[in-house]
Amino acid sequence: MAIEETGENPIKNEGDIVTCRKLIRNVATTAGFGMTDVTRIVTAVSELARNVYVHAGSDGVMRWQLLYQPGKIGIQLVFEDYGKGIPDIDQAIEAGFTTAGTMGMGLSGVKRLMDEMHIQSELGIGTTITVAKWGRAK
Amino acid sequence: MDGENNLSVIKLKNILLVTVPDDPGDDIIQELQTKVLHAIEKYQSKGLILDISSVNILDSFFARTISETTQMVALMGGQTVIAGMQPSVAITATELGLHLGKAISTLDVDRALDIFTDNFKLV
Amino acid sequence: MNHSHSKYLSNFKNWAEQKRFLDFTEKDVEFLKKLHPFAIEYADSFVDQLYEHLLQFPDTKRFLSDEKTLNRLKLAQKAYFMDLTSGEYGEEYYQSRIKVGIAHQRIGLPPRVYMSTYCYYMQLIIPKIYGNPMFDVETANGVFLALHKIINLDQELAISSYIHAIDEVISRQTEEILEMSTPVIQIWDGVVAAPIIGMLDSGRTQQFMERLLEAIVETNSPVALIDITGVPQIDTATAQHLIDTINAVKLLGSQVIITGVRPVIAQTLVHLGIDLSGIITRPTMASGLKVALDKLNIKVMDNPRA
Repeated sequence: MAIEETGENPIKNEGDIVTCRKLIRNVATTAGFGMTDVTRIVTAVSELARNVYVHAGSDGVMRWQLLYQPGKIGIQLVFEDYGKGIPDIDQAIEAGFTTAGTMGMGLSGVKRLMDEMHIQSELGIGTTITVAKWGRAK
Repeated sequence: MDGENNLSVIKLKNILLVTVPDDPGDDIIQELQTKVLHAIEKYQSKGLILDISSVNILDSFFARTISETTQMVALMGGQTVIAGMQPSVAITATELGLHLGKAISTLDVDRALDIFTDNFKLV
Repeated sequence: MNHSHSKYLSNFKNWAEQKRFLDFTEKDVEFLKKLHPFAIEYADSFVDQLYEHLLQFPDTKRFLSDEKTLNRLKLAQKAYFMDLTSGEYGEEYYQSRIKVGIAHQRIGLPPRVYMSTYCYYMQLIIPKIYGNPMFDVETANGVFLALHKIINLDQELAISSYIHAIDEVISRQTEEILEMSTPVIQIWDGVVAAPIIGMLDSGRTQQFMERLLEAIVETNSPVALIDITGVPQIDTATAQHLIDTINAVKLLGSQVIITGVRPVIAQTLVHLGIDLSGIITRPTMASGLKVALDKLNIKVMDNPRA
């Protein structure tokens, strides 16, 4: 019942954002997520992968894990960078907050798209953002 | 990414039509802006239709570029119309809190052309 | 919203935690292994006695209709009893216990029958523990406690899969009810209408939005009427869900007209300070439809001969 599948993709350059999106679109669609949920997940991937690329420069990774339960499907995504870290996590999640010149919808928006979000960050060491989305198996 | 070959800006009388690929990378999105602005300068176009009916992801970077491009096109005297957004993309964009600035949306390219014939009498 | 993983169904990782919670250790595994030879020796006799017992009650007898089923179940039960003391309590064991719970739920076997079976088993095996010349009192107590623990773990798994299955049915039905309560209908060429009945929460909004937007694109409709006559009350959250939907529709290139704004709804909206001034609103769907047709340059005339 708990058939788990996992994988990962490095985030080292701008092109990797698209690679991550394509990979996760494939994984989520195959797993049986509906079209709108796939779009939500892939959009969250795009925001978080860009976040890693912009803040961490050249050294980050996205790990994905698929989880099947009877009647349910889940996907967990972990974005890890070794950048400078987030000084104030609560502030970073607030709508409108931005350091990268985007719309400032990044983290707060991602939280709305996914069911679960967890941020762990240490200054000077790096940041790990974990998100998960659950859906009904087809 | 060999983005150079992926985007063509089509001139239709005094309007420009660009069909955006399904999963455009940041480089393609930036290239789109540059190409469109140069074409507007060259053809003195009064409008831009972005056909995004194939696009299956619209993140904050893409939305911001569309919003900014709309502003730039307006500064050069043109109106931008976004045509054919997919339902799942519209829902996600709303939940993410994105907006497309002054760009007008239409259900498809036909209706986008209607806007220019009805409101602007340009075609 | 959490329309997602059941909070009842454990996963294998949680089960390891549950073992720790129960203080089920290697020592218990050793005690159970000590009992294993006797469990094997008496397995057939236990199963026979159990089924004789089960056949005495009409409630359980109906599950044991024919000889073939009975024999198959007896074999499965024997394996089940023997696994209990096998000393192997890894993922395979875990999966087999979950499966049993799901299978029992599916055929409609009440949990009380499942629970009583363990009690009956205890009744049969306790004499083999305490009357065993190989076990001193300390060992017998250890074996008894270990057996009690593994049975407790078993029951927790089976019961949680029972609850999980019921949970599934409830959430599936809830979804079906939601779908039925928000139809999206094309009422004119270029106009769709969606009457909302009941409160609009975030889970329902997501579903409603999806269906409305798909209908708009499918029918190529520049106008969508959302009728809220059937919405009993409106609060800031509901209003925000409506505004989200309106914004998403706008991104598609279509326009929403809110209809069925009753006096009490109008009062509430103003008192809550919710600004819908950029949105066309009408008291009835009929008046909303007029606006829609106007926008589409459609004129409807009375038939002079009627």
